Amino acid sequence: MEAQKVDMFLMSNGKFFETHQLAPIRDRLLQLDESKWPIIQTLQFKDPTTILIVSLLAGSLGIDRFLIGDTGLGVGKLITCGGLGVWTIIDWFMIMGNTREKNMNALMQVLM
Amino acid sequence: MQAKPFVYIPGEHEAEKASNSYLMSLIAIIAGLPLPIINLLATLAFFIGNRKGTYFVRWHCTQALLSQLSLLFINSFGFWWTVSIIFSDEKITNHYLAYIFCVIIFNVADFFATIFTAIKTRKGLHIEWFFFGTLTNLICRPKK
Repeated sequence: MEAQKVDMFLMSNGKFFETHQLAPIRDRLLQLDESKWPIIQTLQFKDPTTILIVSLLAGSLGIDRFLIGDTGLGVGKLITCGGLGVWTIIDWFMIMGNTREKNMNALMQVLM
Repeated sequence: MQAKPFVYIPGEHEAEKASNSYLMSLIAIIAGLPLPIINLLATLAFFIGNRKGTYFVRWHCTQALLSQLSLLFINSFGFWWTVSIIFSDEKITNHYLAYIFCVIIFNVADFFATIFTAIKTRKGLHIEWFFFGTLTNLICRPKK
């Protein structure tokens, strides 16, 4: 793909990934076939900051886990009232990393 | 407690996650008071959540976990001694007061050490605690 398109993609979507993942993503996108560009453009990534806010407000109900696609963990969190509060606290610190990981997985599915 | 060179220079994302392990244990201490096991459970869960992380992150999660583990034994004994004084015929003795004084000193020292380490680790520095650092070096190994 054209370098300009790849850089534009990274500028608008860079915050959805870990900083150390950006260089490999760029390399991978540059090697990618032009026909995949429309699919990549339509990908919807979860914003880690939004998920963190949800986790702070409704973490004990497991809403944050539902939003990033971890339905099983979300149900577990809901039933245990956020692991009696402990799980909720842990997720305040982990959910942003998990969200970026999910975004990376979503992108990788297209890139593979 | 001193800053030592790590086997590699940790990246920004690693420093953030490693620092979070200490910050999370601080929040868990405050949220879990007076039960001494809450922060250990929280640190353990955080450690398990990051078990596939990089060496730097795993190393600091392990150090945070070990420090909380030692606190558990000290605090649990103090907690149940206090409970027995409140709810049974046990009397407050000089031994009890001396023990509680030591528990408070140990907890306050751990609290400030954790804050200090969280700040330094966030800047990418590798802080090894006395005793716990050596123990962590023995337990936590880089992936082959």
